[in-house]
Amino acid sequence: MSALAPPAAGAPAAVRDRPAPRLRRPKPARSPWLHVAMVPVTLLWLSPIVFVLFVAIRSYDDIAGRGLGAFPASFSLDGFATALTEGGVLRSLGNSVLVTVCAVVASLALSSFAAYALSRFDIPFRRTILLTMLAGNLLPPQILLVPVSSITEAIGIGDTLTALVVVQVGFGIGFYTFVLHGFMRSLPNEVFEAARLDGAGPGGIFWRIVLPLSRPSLAALAALATTWIFNDLIWAMTVLRTEAKFPITAALLNLQGGFASAWNVVAAGALIAAVPTAIVFFLFQKQFVSGLLVGANK
Amino acid sequence: MSKRTTTYKRALTRRELLAGGMTLGAASLLAACVGTTSGGSGGGGGGTSSGLITLQNSIQDADPKAALEALVKAYPGGDVTMNSVATEQFRAQLTNYLRSGDSPEVLSWYAGSVARSYAEEGLLLDVSSLWEGDGACAGYSDALRSLSSDAAGKQIFVPTSYYWWSVFYKKSAFEKWGVEPPTTWDEFHALCENLSGQGIVPLTNGLSSTPWMASGWFDYLDLRINGAQYHRELLAGEHAFNDPEVVAVMEEYKRLIPYFDKNAASYTAQDAATPVAQDKSAMYLVGAFVSGYFPEDQRDDLDFFSVPVINDSVPTAEEAPTDGFFAAARSDNHQGALDLLSYLASADSQQQYIEQSKSSNLPTSPDVDTTSFSPLVQKGIELLNNTEEITQFFNRDSSDALQATADTALTKFLAQPDSMKSILDEWQTAAEGVFAS
Repeated sequence: MSALAPPAAGAPAAVRDRPAPRLRRPKPARSPWLHVAMVPVTLLWLSPIVFVLFVAIRSYDDIAGRGLGAFPASFSLDGFATALTEGGVLRSLGNSVLVTVCAVVASLALSSFAAYALSRFDIPFRRTILLTMLAGNLLPPQILLVPVSSITEAIGIGDTLTALVVVQVGFGIGFYTFVLHGFMRSLPNEVFEAARLDGAGPGGIFWRIVLPLSRPSLAALAALATTWIFNDLIWAMTVLRTEAKFPITAALLNLQGGFASAWNVVAAGALIAAVPTAIVFFLFQKQFVSGLLVGANK
Repeated sequence: MSKRTTTYKRALTRRELLAGGMTLGAASLLAACVGTTSGGSGGGGGGTSSGLITLQNSIQDADPKAALEALVKAYPGGDVTMNSVATEQFRAQLTNYLRSGDSPEVLSWYAGSVARSYAEEGLLLDVSSLWEGDGACAGYSDALRSLSSDAAGKQIFVPTSYYWWSVFYKKSAFEKWGVEPPTTWDEFHALCENLSGQGIVPLTNGLSSTPWMASGWFDYLDLRINGAQYHRELLAGEHAFNDPEVVAVMEEYKRLIPYFDKNAASYTAQDAATPVAQDKSAMYLVGAFVSGYFPEDQRDDLDFFSVPVINDSVPTAEEAPTDGFFAAARSDNHQGALDLLSYLASADSQQQYIEQSKSSNLPTSPDVDTTSFSPLVQKGIELLNNTEEITQFFNRDSSDALQATADTALTKFLAQPDSMKSILDEWQTAAEGVFAS
């Protein structure tokens, strides 16, 4: 409370000095204490990124001679150049974007079909189906690595990006369906009755009513799914073995050396790899926040 | 009323547009997705059947990787797809690679018991044709031949390079401090005392994410006190880790603990070289790959001496981990694999690889002209030529599973040297579990 006192005391004085006092008093100035507290916290949160940036712009000899934690005494963009050319960061970014876009679109399309059917139609055992789909998500991926690896091998799509998309879709679809099911069930019945009176069939209702109304939850899920799939490493390493098909996460791992790592290259690669997720985050900020609340207000 | 209808209409078209756009976008994206991936897999599939060769390797350090890439690109026998995978991932995936239906033709890995265990499962191609007549490996030393053979005496591995372990230091730093490399074990201790007195940390090590570095000193002390024969038997499970022989090794290790950098537990193997580069720390028992840890202008300043003799009744021994390639038994291009191995093992290829990789690797082929190599590498060749016994390293002479028990035991020992006896008992129990499985 005492923190608020100085601006509150200052405000009437400012009002009195004005030649024509207005009826509405100006808004009391916001307390500066929020910023005083948040600026150091923000800097603390940013410090790892600044550290990585410092490493990325140093030359290898500077890092080797003075240690990883020292302040930069050299400036070189060699790290970025090496990461982009020899490290194959660009190629693997392309793979990552391709896999992410395909997997997000496919999994949201399929799970919105499933959620529509499960939420609006009287399908026998629909609760069981939904819970079974969700139960798949409760299994830790680690215990599925060997089966997934041999199944993709057996059906002849091992070591392809298709396999990675299929695995990502299969693994994500349970959760997306569950969330969309909750959302679609809460849509008011009257809308559907009105549509049916207007002669819309189940397909028409889905395209013209359910999908547009589900846009907020679809956007939230798309934002979350994009970061999850883009940042995935474990499935990529399980399914793929050709270096040219590696997504960015696996390629970053490859930048590290067996005995000696060129830390400037690794750091530069990591910064480049973070750019797409950062863009997605800034574009979908609102959806991210609502995405965190997805399922909280069924 | 009419106004209402128009808004309704407009809203409807907007929705239709949205839905249509979404379908169109989704369809084209999916099509693009399927198109590209099937194209990619078609290329890969066609590759293996038309005689293309895949080389799966775990060579990660920038210069050696570039050297191998250049070598593979110049391969006259056809196109080779080279896949580099981070070493730890490679280790985890290796069984998958070898078991898969269309496994890569040639894979990089380690000689010795590791390769042998894959051969026992029938996963490796018999490469003994390269070791006979005028094959690329026919002239290799007998030590390498036995290292590359499976239990039945067939060769299943093609060694292409190896490196040595030693105590590395900077010549300029030793000059500055007025000290000389020691020749006896007592001199070594005196040197450590002297350096400590000058405020310099005598020994560095990096044990945080590379705890196996602690095994370097264990191996060397065991080789110097009990000899290479005992060391091999110990790692094969024929002796116990709580035997009096091992206790003697640990007593000697304990004497060294005060000389180690206090931060060793928080350094990685790479970080640990920085104090040496800055002349804050003097010596580092490490593999020759250490040259890559130093700034380029300090690499010519590096020198090394072998860990001095402790017990002169045992034969001299050095650690020289051997790297190379093997071929998968389940690949569909056996001839292509043998041809590529032959190319990689040839003296010319080894020479080119060692010169370009800038690392301190030694050739396995006796026909390589070594006169153009750096003085450090020449000295390394001499070291290994003059030693009576060669071992590899703890994990390569035993298994990754036994290495894990050593990491646990030695990390604990370095933190609490006084509970050495109970740590050795625990180590033996853990090792018995590894040998039983």
